[in-house]
Amino acid sequence: MKTRYFLLTVLILLILNPNSKLSAQEKQQNYGKAPDEIFPYDKFVKPYKYHFLVPLQFYGAGREKLAPKDLTEVRVGFLGPLSGSVMVPQGKQMLQGATLAMEEANKNGGYKGLPYKLMIHNDVGLWGAAANEVVKMDDEKVWAFVGSIDDIVSHVALRAALKLEIFMVCTGDPDPTFTETNIPWTLRVISDDRQGIYSLVHQIYLKDGHSRIAVIRTGARYGRVAFKIFSENATRVGHPPVIEERFTDGETDFKTQLERIMVTNPDAILVWGNAKESALILQQMRAIGLKQPVYGSDRMVNPEFLKIAGNLAEGVVTTCQYNPESDNSKYKAFKTNYMKRFNEEPDVFAAHAYDGMNLLISAINKVGLNRVLIRDILTDRKTFQGFQGVTGKIVLDQSWNEIRDIFMAKVENGKFAFMPAPPLDMKERATIKTGTY
Amino acid sequence: MRKLIGRSQRKYSAIAVIVFGISSFGFTGLDKHPDSKDSKVKVIKDEVKPMPVYGHWRNFTTKDGLPSDKAYCVRIDGDRVLAGTHDGLAVYENGKWKTYTTKDGLPHNGIVSIDVSELTGDVWIGTLGGLSRWSGGKFENFSQLNSGMPNDLVYCVICDGKDVWVATGGGAGHYDTYTKEWEIFTEKNAPMHEPWTYGVSAGDGKIYIAAWGGGVIEYTTKTKKFKDYTDPDGEMEIDLLPDDGPVHDITTGTTWGDGYLWVSSYFGLCSYDGAHWKGYFDHDSGLASNFINFVRAKGPVVFICSDKGLSTTNGKSWVTYKKNDNNSDGMAIVKNYGRIDDSTPNKTTKEIPMSPSISHNFIIGVDEDKDVLWVATSSGISRGELLK
Repeated sequence: MKTRYFLLTVLILLILNPNSKLSAQEKQQNYGKAPDEIFPYDKFVKPYKYHFLVPLQFYGAGREKLAPKDLTEVRVGFLGPLSGSVMVPQGKQMLQGATLAMEEANKNGGYKGLPYKLMIHNDVGLWGAAANEVVKMDDEKVWAFVGSIDDIVSHVALRAALKLEIFMVCTGDPDPTFTETNIPWTLRVISDDRQGIYSLVHQIYLKDGHSRIAVIRTGARYGRVAFKIFSENATRVGHPPVIEERFTDGETDFKTQLERIMVTNPDAILVWGNAKESALILQQMRAIGLKQPVYGSDRMVNPEFLKIAGNLAEGVVTTCQYNPESDNSKYKAFKTNYMKRFNEEPDVFAAHAYDGMNLLISAINKVGLNRVLIRDILTDRKTFQGFQGVTGKIVLDQSWNEIRDIFMAKVENGKFAFMPAPPLDMKERATIKTGTY
Repeated sequence: MRKLIGRSQRKYSAIAVIVFGISSFGFTGLDKHPDSKDSKVKVIKDEVKPMPVYGHWRNFTTKDGLPSDKAYCVRIDGDRVLAGTHDGLAVYENGKWKTYTTKDGLPHNGIVSIDVSELTGDVWIGTLGGLSRWSGGKFENFSQLNSGMPNDLVYCVICDGKDVWVATGGGAGHYDTYTKEWEIFTEKNAPMHEPWTYGVSAGDGKIYIAAWGGGVIEYTTKTKKFKDYTDPDGEMEIDLLPDDGPVHDITTGTTWGDGYLWVSSYFGLCSYDGAHWKGYFDHDSGLASNFINFVRAKGPVVFICSDKGLSTTNGKSWVTYKKNDNNSDGMAIVKNYGRIDDSTPNKTTKEIPMSPSISHNFIIGVDEDKDVLWVATSSGISRGELLK
């Protein structure tokens, strides 16, 4: 009875309290599929405002615009690293994937009999080239575009895409902050580094039971953003990295960084960089006697890594946004056609560019030639939610970021073996492994 | 009353009242308002002028002579008005629009930003394909290739005395019109996280750069020193506390007026008085939307261009202009408080019908001078007058 009166009085007073309206916003679900245990500040205080819980709409004009009647082709843009970058091989694969999708669409009649045409733009040139290239696409009157891989390029392009109102399907940039810009003119068909890092944190600390992790990563933005997320989440599960070492893309001698890591005697080492540097680091690590288990970024899933690292790659664990060894008939057909057309195996950038271009063409075929309507249908999270691509089913969150389940990849017998990443259960605890390596 | 509630119940109620008191103090204690007595900086005084309300709207589209309905910016220049559209520069003078394009010498038809030099009267035009100085009837063009400009897509240009500043996708640029030299500021030589910038403004001897992903970069022109302001929680998916700093690191614009720096983002608005930050969101204030394209302060009033209407505030009250979805009418929504937790005793919301209203709710640019307001929208340009 007493308790009832007490609670009733508190309830009435809280309702009357004018300041109660300033209390923290209710959270519906965690952004980015983050488990409660690693959501920022969740153990201590409710944030005042949660972002990315509700998809942003575009309230501008343009839906009323009619398609031009004198078109002879339907232009779709491509933005990628095609020259002047260490990412050119990946850019070439990405272009080939997009080209194959477009060629197939044209074989099937194009857009109401009009052929699709790819307007190709290199994103590496003058400083900030991506912005200028998107302006050129607007001048060329493209209806939408796919791009890119590098995170700086993608950000610059996206900002221009908003200004010019051209939809951008991101097929190769896994930078989590790309969709965290809150710009309703993009979607991403490749899982971001957040998903890969959550899985790695789970694997390294909770499944494999390590506690003292050294990190060596590229100094590029790709490494900086990834390390921030890894470090925060490792700390949230109780084990901040013991050391962070950096290198420059293109660097070949990592002795200084590895010697500093050796002093800390870590349980395991996380390598975050492009395939070539990661392989060289692995070689030099073993050469100086660092025998710890090695984990890495998805960019290791590359023939170049296996070729350079050789036998030393055995046991390396990383993540992959899809399963390149999938038995899925759609993926197998894509792989066969791709190899027939380009005489090489598709990589992650080719497969996702193929999916991204198919998504874009499907959207144009459904709503016609109007940029805002193309945006609307691609972002409604109904029409293309669950779109079956060759890389798997596309699952978009409220910020139009791809959040489907990813794969763990482990080098076994000279090649990567892929298995679904286990569901993230940060409550799970393995026996902590410690020891001197 | 004593008969209705027993002694023990009164005791528990008293405990509850104390809990309530502590919790209330906690809430208000979190929010130290800039005009608190210990504030060392200039504050908006209690006797602030009421917020101006504009009406008698007149709207302009291609039917009235604009080169495009999609307008990016607008700038009042004495008796004329300069408007940037997707298809050219439109100048309104003597009741008529005249269009200037690449055929007249502009570097690109997409006109994104305009400012007028108080020193020389020159018009500086930021386009999708370079910067242009319109002087003596001629366009002098600056690009990455012919000058030291950081990037050809000029999101924002401002004049500050003899200096011209641009915010571009490749960094911020400073052009000294006396020495004719450019300086570029990126993450290499300024405390930006990334090279790309989106807005720039001047005030109180400082330049404020809206750095995409890097919050606000403050540059003191005398000392040439930088200082950065970022969201202290360091997370993209939340704002931990509304008044702990910029509401987000991805900023879209800055503007300075009457002792306050205002910062816009796609996640809300915030103000800074030199000591305290204060955040405003659509759920706790009169802000039309958290998605803000542009901000411009004129004295104590800031004009906020959002995707759901034009909001104006002085931090104490709000007026938001919105057009109806189904006709050309709309309303001005007046709120007599700054934020839902402020000390205004009787918080009210009043709607003033407007016929016609602004041209479109997706607002991209704004300027005000001599009681006349010009608004650039996604579909047309609007002109309003101060309602007496």
